[in-house]
Amino acid sequence: MLVLTRKINESIRIGDDITIKVLEIRGSQVRLGIEAPEDVKVYREELYQKILQENLRAARVNATEFDKLKEVFKKK
Amino acid sequence: MIQVKTTRFGDLQVPEDKIIHFPEGLLGFSKLKRYILLDYKDTSIKWLQAVDDPDVAFIVINVFEIEPEYEIKVPDSVQRLLGLERPEDAVVLVILRVEGGKLLANLQGPLVINSLTRKGVQMVVENASVKVYNMH
Repeated sequence: MLVLTRKINESIRIGDDITIKVLEIRGSQVRLGIEAPEDVKVYREELYQKILQENLRAARVNATEFDKLKEVFKKK
Repeated sequence: MIQVKTTRFGDLQVPEDKIIHFPEGLLGFSKLKRYILLDYKDTSIKWLQAVDDPDVAFIVINVFEIEPEYEIKVPDSVQRLLGLERPEDAVVLVILRVEGGKLLANLQGPLVINSLTRKGVQMVVENASVKVYNMH
């Protein structure tokens, strides 16, 4: 892992087209400005992990759980 | 026709044009890019079965079946990825699962599919959540 020290308004550049700039530091919070091409996905790590975990759990639905769902969504 | 091996439904013969391509895969399943959508008997739920892994299948439902007011803004980059030109061509599915007797719908990671190009993407929506429903 690369560790860098930056001050307010300083940036780091990742590759040719991604920059991350330190905009503001307030107590333990840091505001970052991220510029990246639109096809580069930028997520908060927690959100990314949450959806990833949801997917992993959802892919393991068992027969009992499916039977319950089936009942709920039965067409009248 | 292609043959799709599945753990839950046995071997299926599926016309090639029924395959839905997720160029980026789903989060946590980035290697699986081809899926088929299977109706389930007399219900409004469907199975999204991975073509290239028999074990991987998600239970999905059209979001409007459970959340008629659901709104989603599909960014230009996603529209381009899917070749999406008209809103009416977009189908929005959400993944369902069951935990502790409750139904969980992942409104935060909806699947947006262009029904014309049969390309799909899992979006990450900041201002939504995984919604919990009681099952009656």
